Amino acid sequence: MRGLRLLLVGATLVAVAGCATGEEWKIWRDNKTHFASGEHMGFSVRNREGTQARVTRQDIALAREQAWFGRPITVSQEQILER
Amino acid sequence: MSVRRSLAAVAAAAALALAGGAAAAPSDDRILPVPEYTSEKAKNLAVTHLKALRALNGDLYHCVPWVEVQRHSIGFFRPKHIARDDRYLSVRIYIEQDPSPQFAALRVEQRAGAMFSRYVGALLKRMTQDRTLAADPSIDGFTVILEWLKQAPRAAGARPVHETIAVFVEKPLATDYLAGRLRTREVAERAKVLGFDGETALGELRLTAWDDNFVATYKVANYEVEKGITCQ
Repeated sequence: MRGLRLLLVGATLVAVAGCATGEEWKIWRDNKTHFASGEHMGFSVRNREGTQARVTRQDIALAREQAWFGRPITVSQEQILER
Repeated sequence: MSVRRSLAAVAAAAALALAGGAAAAPSDDRILPVPEYTSEKAKNLAVTHLKALRALNGDLYHCVPWVEVQRHSIGFFRPKHIARDDRYLSVRIYIEQDPSPQFAALRVEQRAGAMFSRYVGALLKRMTQDRTLAADPSIDGFTVILEWLKQAPRAAGARPVHETIAVFVEKPLATDYLAGRLRTREVAERAKVLGFDGETALGELRLTAWDDNFVATYKVANYEVEKGITCQ
């Protein structure tokens, strides 16, 4: 009985925690790079308001990957330099 | 606690301490591998100065974290416009910055001049930190390629457009600048600068540049350099 109660409480918590508001989903849809991965979310969660923020080189690399606009139109190295 | 358990605990603690103390290194793939060069002169330079190239790669990675060095972007390349096998130590960086309407409104020469002012001198200093490399007579000059976002994608499926300048600085010019005998303005006047809008060559650009200490003073908010790394 106790086990069943715990299971119900756990399931409710998971359901509530997993729900995003309509506005949050709109932000997600509009910005494909927003929290695109668990790592980026981890960085955001770690630096909560009111705490001393800390950014590592790894955080920058992850944020860069997730903010990637796509393959750019740019000059190739071969147009400028020879190996 | 048994002796075996104690030893295991000490070993685990030591492993953790070592893991925590060692700084993450940037990938070596940013440096052109030796077999990729097409001349013996270049291969010799790459072998001789591999340690210096790795140090430069690490310095850019940790100390200028808002720029990106892509694969095979550091090495002893030959500038395409030079027929003989002159070898320039070359670095290509992509500069990340927030979109700015003021910056976008400038003429291409003005944007290029601003980027030249910020990065060329600072990179030349970083590229010549290794004394052996700086004094090597086989190195004929330095190439600094700067790339930045000109235009973000304007529609779904569109690609961003980058603007690029390639700056070629002959060895004597670099030596005079690094010795303090020339200012950034004079380097910009004497160096060869090629411009590119996306993939389109704009030809040679005449730039006005100035001494700018941005790289030395700019800090990414709350960025912490990893333990064991010293930035100058």
